[in-house]
Amino acid sequence: MTASSILLQSDLLPEALNISFKLGPALLVIGMLGLFLTIGFVFRVADTDDMWVAGRSIGNVENGMAIGANWMSAASYLGMAASIALAGFYGLVFVVGWTTGYFILLIFLAAQLRRFGKYTAPDFVGDRFNSDTARAIAAVTTFLIGFVYAIGQAKGMALVGLYIFGNYGGLIPGLDGYQVMVVAMMVVTVGYLTLSGMLGATKNQAVQYVILILAFVVGLFVVGYTNGYSTVLPQLEYGALISQLGSEFSEPFSGSSYYLWVATTFSLIVGTCGLPHVLVRFYTVESERTARWSTVWGLFFICILYWSAPAFAAFGTDLYSQNVGATYGDPGMTGAASEVIVVLAAQLSGLPSWFVGIVAAGGIAAAIATVAGLFIAGSSAISHDIYTNIINEDATQRQQILVGRLSIVALGALTTLAALNPASSIAALVGYAFSLAGSVLFPMFFLGMWWENANRQGALAGMTTGLTLWSIPMINQIVPTYIGSVEAPLSAGLATWMPAIGSALITLPIVFVVTIAVSMATDEPSLETKRIVRQCHSPEPMGQQETAEDVVADGGEDVATDGGRAMDDAGADGGRAVDDAAAEGDRTDDATTEEER
Amino acid sequence: MTDNTSRERDDAVTDGGRATDDAVTDGGRATDDAVTDGGRATDDAVTDGGRATNDAATDGGVASSGAAQTHNNTDYLGAEVNILNPSTPYMRDHLRIVWSGFAVWVLAVWGPVTLTNFAPGVMTQTMPILQFPLHYFLVAFGAPTSALILAFWYSRKRDALDEKYGIEHGTADVATDGGSDE
Repeated sequence: MTASSILLQSDLLPEALNISFKLGPALLVIGMLGLFLTIGFVFRVADTDDMWVAGRSIGNVENGMAIGANWMSAASYLGMAASIALAGFYGLVFVVGWTTGYFILLIFLAAQLRRFGKYTAPDFVGDRFNSDTARAIAAVTTFLIGFVYAIGQAKGMALVGLYIFGNYGGLIPGLDGYQVMVVAMMVVTVGYLTLSGMLGATKNQAVQYVILILAFVVGLFVVGYTNGYSTVLPQLEYGALISQLGSEFSEPFSGSSYYLWVATTFSLIVGTCGLPHVLVRFYTVESERTARWSTVWGLFFICILYWSAPAFAAFGTDLYSQNVGATYGDPGMTGAASEVIVVLAAQLSGLPSWFVGIVAAGGIAAAIATVAGLFIAGSSAISHDIYTNIINEDATQRQQILVGRLSIVALGALTTLAALNPASSIAALVGYAFSLAGSVLFPMFFLGMWWENANRQGALAGMTTGLTLWSIPMINQIVPTYIGSVEAPLSAGLATWMPAIGSALITLPIVFVVTIAVSMATDEPSLETKRIVRQCHSPEPMGQQETAEDVVADGGEDVATDGGRAMDDAGADGGRAVDDAAAEGDRTDDATTEEER
Repeated sequence: MTDNTSRERDDAVTDGGRATDDAVTDGGRATDDAVTDGGRATDDAVTDGGRATNDAATDGGVASSGAAQTHNNTDYLGAEVNILNPSTPYMRDHLRIVWSGFAVWVLAVWGPVTLTNFAPGVMTQTMPILQFPLHYFLVAFGAPTSALILAFWYSRKRDALDEKYGIEHGTADVATDGGSDE
């Protein structure tokens, strides 16, 4: 576990980074946030109906960009290059795990999810397994994922913020410069969220993607070109440089085992297919064919950054060695410096501070967009799936919104506290969220979609098992770092064979077996549920507005109710209108959720 | 009416000769239809207006292919879903594509790493021209790129499969939209 254990130092001030207030970059970040808000405001007119129509008409390329913007957070932008620079060959697990997972999502889930056609991940679990408890467990998982995922984002924002805004250590008594920046950035993010959460920011995704990818790729081109590393295709031109970077950069399994490599990639891959904010992207595209092709486009847009990150890491490592000191060995590059290697590379190339600022701002854009999305997903899980569906079924709109707001503030506070002294690197922190998604949600989606006999009891047993198993390595490795007196990990053996970052390799097969065994030992699900699953796989085209449930309800009742269909339809329509109205509140949320990531 | 498109398509083929078709497809449905037809007649009258033209268009293409014929005779809501035991011809064909892609994907993702573990000498050699250590290139560039190519391949295959079975994603919307205006 080199990647995470190296980064346990409490002092998180990146050496060599030029930490001071810089007017240009600061204005750039403020302007960028203002731009997001403005775009959100301008396109707010679309409102519920138009927004919905716009949502339905989202095509391949646009949805692909949305997938890309959704996906790429501070972990992709900063954390990945950091891991590659510090952990060498092991760092590449993130490049592999965070791209190749999309193929699995594509062949097993994307089109089927479009046909299922609900709004959130807990929705799927609750409806497929006909259980509010299952929905609640999925909602709690979604909340936890948002929390763990956001810790990494807070860390990334704060480190990059140091470059742009300077060191204000001591401004809040007892907190150092990094910690003050964590608090400031999280306040800004929650503030941004309360403003943007109400705006249907359809176009923001494309803008965010463009900012992010331009900042990163242009940064890479310029750094490569000015230092003579590369000409037009830096992504393929850093090969010769690798041999000069020291064996730590490329030697396989020097700091970590083959097993850890496989476990981590596996966990990241199944996590990709189980992350709520990724899955919801497929619910609202115009057709299942679009669901497929936009995945291809999305993966392409993601690959642009992922092809570039290792090159950035290589350039950054070399620049660090030349200008600051040896990257590896003692003392070597600190974790804090590695996390900002992308920014550092631009700075050490002697580029003007406004240009370095653009690269830094891209990282903040990635982090804020992701946190916003995660928090909205987390808060809607609490307010919609738990509070309204289970605790208080008669909740008024006002109460729901209040609960939603409170959960956002709670998430913000929790994340800030956990990020003050983060347990691991950005990439690893995000990786824990992937382990969770892969342990609990992916098995439910996969079995729920591909085996009609998976039932409520099976799902409950499976999800409980997944949550429990996921928490074991977390308690073993991560929790102790927050408790001063205990050494992490509690058990070295367990950390080797069930590492927190790769725990899904162990948990997923167990959850599968438990879910299948319990499902087989108990009653089969109802015919209606089975028919919904079948409808998700039927090649018959569906209408843009239809969910599998609609089709099954209409078609399935042919047998019994055709005679009185007219009445039935009237009844159903009436019901649906109300439903829609009620759902509209959530839908605003959902729309934002999908778009903000 | 957003009624099920599947039935409309069924109807498209069977209109006119529905009795025979029912007999062929499912014994059970004939009875159902008998019970339910009463109500449906009115219903059909309401929707049929716009449908006639559509039917003509669809019918021509559908009849020509055998797979499309099978597709029209398949009751997808009555066929079990189990990834290990596909129950319709369409799903069998689909899963063949899925598993082939999956197998190649497993090799692309974990193949190079595994080889590197067991034959580090061979795998860490420097590549000609690009000058990358082989293992590094296959992982950092090869794996994501393979996934992208595979995703493209799968989506193409899947489109071809839909074509083979005479499924057009555009038509559904036309039919539904017409209905939903009511």
